[in-house]
Amino acid sequence: MAKEGSGSILQFAPFQSSVDEGFWHRFSSLKLNKFGIDDSPIAISGFFAPCSHPQVSNHLTLLAESLPSDSNEESSIPAFSRGNRNRCSVPGILYNTNTMESFHGLDKQGLLRAEAKKIWEDVHSGKVLEDSSVLSRFLLISFADLKKWSFHYWFAFPALVLDPPATLVDLRPASQWFTLEEAESVSAACNEWRNSSVTADVPFFLVSVGSDSRAAVRHLKDWETCQYDGQKLLFAFYDPCHLPNNPGWPLRNYLAFICARWNLKTVHFLCYRENRGFADLSLSLVGEALITISQGWREHQCVPNAVGWELNKGRKVPRCINLAKSMDPTRLAISAADLNLKLMRWRALPSLNLDILFSIKCLLLGAGTLGCQVARMLMAWGVRRITLVDNGRVAMSNPLRQSLYTLDDCLNGGDFKATAAVRSLQRIFPAVVAEGVVMAIPMPGHPVSSQEENSVLEDCRRLNDLIGSHDVIFLLTDTRESRWLPTLLCANTNKITITAALGFDSFLVMRHGPGPFNSTPDLKAEMPNSLSAVMDNLALTNTDGKQRLGCYFCNDVVAPTDSTSNRTLDQQCTVTRPGLAPIASALAVELLVGILHHPHGIFAEAEIAKSNNGGSSELPLGILPHQIRGSLPHFQQMTLVGNSSNSCTACCSTVVSEYRKRGMQFILQAINHPTYLEDLTGLTELMRSANTFQLDWDDEMEDADDECIEL
Amino acid sequence: MMDVCNWDGTVSAKDFRIGALSFAQKWESLNSAFPPWSWVPCPKHSWLASHELLQEEGYLSLENICISRPNEEDIDQNSQTDPGEEETSCSEKEDDIDDATLVQSNHHELHYCDFHVVYSYTFRVPVLYLRAYCSDGRPLLLDEIEKELPACSSKELPETKWAFITQEEHPYLKRPWYKLHPCGTSEFMKLLFLGGDTAQPKLEVVLELYLLSWFSAVGQVVGLTIPCKMLNDR
Repeated sequence: MAKEGSGSILQFAPFQSSVDEGFWHRFSSLKLNKFGIDDSPIAISGFFAPCSHPQVSNHLTLLAESLPSDSNEESSIPAFSRGNRNRCSVPGILYNTNTMESFHGLDKQGLLRAEAKKIWEDVHSGKVLEDSSVLSRFLLISFADLKKWSFHYWFAFPALVLDPPATLVDLRPASQWFTLEEAESVSAACNEWRNSSVTADVPFFLVSVGSDSRAAVRHLKDWETCQYDGQKLLFAFYDPCHLPNNPGWPLRNYLAFICARWNLKTVHFLCYRENRGFADLSLSLVGEALITISQGWREHQCVPNAVGWELNKGRKVPRCINLAKSMDPTRLAISAADLNLKLMRWRALPSLNLDILFSIKCLLLGAGTLGCQVARMLMAWGVRRITLVDNGRVAMSNPLRQSLYTLDDCLNGGDFKATAAVRSLQRIFPAVVAEGVVMAIPMPGHPVSSQEENSVLEDCRRLNDLIGSHDVIFLLTDTRESRWLPTLLCANTNKITITAALGFDSFLVMRHGPGPFNSTPDLKAEMPNSLSAVMDNLALTNTDGKQRLGCYFCNDVVAPTDSTSNRTLDQQCTVTRPGLAPIASALAVELLVGILHHPHGIFAEAEIAKSNNGGSSELPLGILPHQIRGSLPHFQQMTLVGNSSNSCTACCSTVVSEYRKRGMQFILQAINHPTYLEDLTGLTELMRSANTFQLDWDDEMEDADDECIEL
Repeated sequence: MMDVCNWDGTVSAKDFRIGALSFAQKWESLNSAFPPWSWVPCPKHSWLASHELLQEEGYLSLENICISRPNEEDIDQNSQTDPGEEETSCSEKEDDIDDATLVQSNHHELHYCDFHVVYSYTFRVPVLYLRAYCSDGRPLLLDEIEKELPACSSKELPETKWAFITQEEHPYLKRPWYKLHPCGTSEFMKLLFLGGDTAQPKLEVVLELYLLSWFSAVGQVVGLTIPCKMLNDR
């Protein structure tokens, strides 16, 4: 639509900014490694190109290459080369502040005037004729918050204000202003200009059309030589704007330059626009503007007013962009870990339940060889909530076998394992929610004095609270008796409990069955009142397939007593073949994942590995065994089933109901009286009567002691 | 020369480069109507023997593709201005808008996408990397991208065994980009060439057509198409 003789004020479409993420990435890295707190202004380059689409304007873009190159930097940034037709470079300046307050406190008027003055200088000095891109000089203020990875910024495109403003005499598509022949020639000439690397990125130029309809494109500095009759002469520029009724922002300073330099009152201009890489004369506009300038314009020293702060959706406020998702290392680690598990689910395990892994809370009793390794394996599976309980300190020999510790943790007497482990987990994966509890686990058969009683009871209560507030408990301590109280508490509350225990060259990994109460209604655990009944209930194999699976102590015929004193030194020092702990820990975690994916969870029946396992397991993770026992000398592993024992000192109904009845007093009694548990469960009775049969219990017990459970 | 039946669906770095350069060239010469793919060289400092230095690495690039539908009503949920920012504007006495400035009322937010085709040395196949952003440069997240490119959506891809969008650091630009995970690529490339009843082509032919065929399959996921001219011109 042509505007003819309307004499209305010529209105320019403001430049729009676009900052590529790469600019902020590079700027952050420069700020951290080079600039530091130095907030001196930085010379940068912006890039733009003529409009290339009838419905969309082009932007002034900042890229990683916009920042000055640094010889120290790794050159993954290609230095921008001149002559790129899609990247006409424009000089700019960046003022970055170090605080939000100083960002808001910048003298915006002053900064804008300073840049406008530079443009004014270039207009009068003739610099524009050498490098016309200085007419589009811009200003950027910013505050880069490198803790939150958010960037506050505000562009200004200084435009010298004509006073009074220029008026528009005519504006129409170029195809309507030129004759057909002329248009063809103009297009060809412009395309040639755009395709030559010498001129492709020169945004201001002259288009002259002779009386023979032949067009030529010339540099601005050739203006004087273009003055002859019968010729149309247009001041052309790359116009980023697409609008049919308005030219783009670069025309503002262009007009200012033209009238200051050559004192023209009427200016014919060409807003050069393209479509798909070629000159598009129906999108391009030709206009005629009338300029009346005041006397002051001819005087160099009087800098005109300037406008040009970019609006943000119509409002005079800065913009803000948050790049935490792509820059914050913790976020990146989280997203990478998530995607890794999702990839596993997609490729191999479509039924993988990631939600449950992300949300369960695991309590690890023991932060030694088993505890460290279990914690790592849990994190690898996506578990994010881990609590470690250990009352020991990191010793010099620990870092070799306990994979969360390093030498630093051993110094000055050694840090508490629980706290050092949490620190280590956070270094591996900052998003882990890890807690360390420095606490000893009260043990039966280790009597306490009356002064210690209160603190021991406190520990019991604390342990109970911890177990209550977690979903899964791993028993990873180094003595048999330290596993008793946790086993009882877990059986009482039906928590998923997994035990790992090491011998010198063998291991046991098992999941405890559910507690005696809240189990399936078929189970009846009755109090034995005769020897035969006791014998029956002690049977490890049971014809009733529905009996609940056993816990760690169900296989014992002895109650847990003091296994640490009167031992030879190496057994006390818990020396095992180093390969065992990682194997057992890994199996313990895999067992847990199996439980979590089993429809019956803690109530799941036991399966054993069969040699002819032709897809007999329906679950994608495979079978869910009860116990896994492995032997390194044979490189062998077996899956076993052990049902619960009605005389179990930790999980039988007698014990659990006694605990329910008497609480901490019951615990204290078990701690202080070595035979109390055996008496309670009838084990004492059993042993006495068994002795009359003259079975060699003594020898067998000794073997049983040595066989499995030490660490 | 290896028999095509033993072919594992992968391609060497050299063949990828040759294919990519020829792809870019052919595209430009045949498709003036479409935005061009260009080869971006990434010279790496090589301490190997000098002849290795000639082996130029790089990737195919197609950038600034507008993926928004033109008449979308855009409610900007990600309004980036803090309430605290209001104060700045009020303190400005100077009128930044003069009569000569056009004030536009419609703030139409458009989304753009960059696509790169990068060779994966681990999987020995091309990989499509992509990222999307608004016109002011703000990057788009995957769920926002999925709105514009519905074929990308994980909801639409449950059956597809070979299309999975993951996020990884771009091997040359060192920033996180989204990519179509390549672990299934060699499988479907084998299927593409060897799965039919027609006579099996020679291996040289397969390698020549590799990138084109790969692109025709993968491009569908992100809505990129190959103009027929390129496929027919053999």
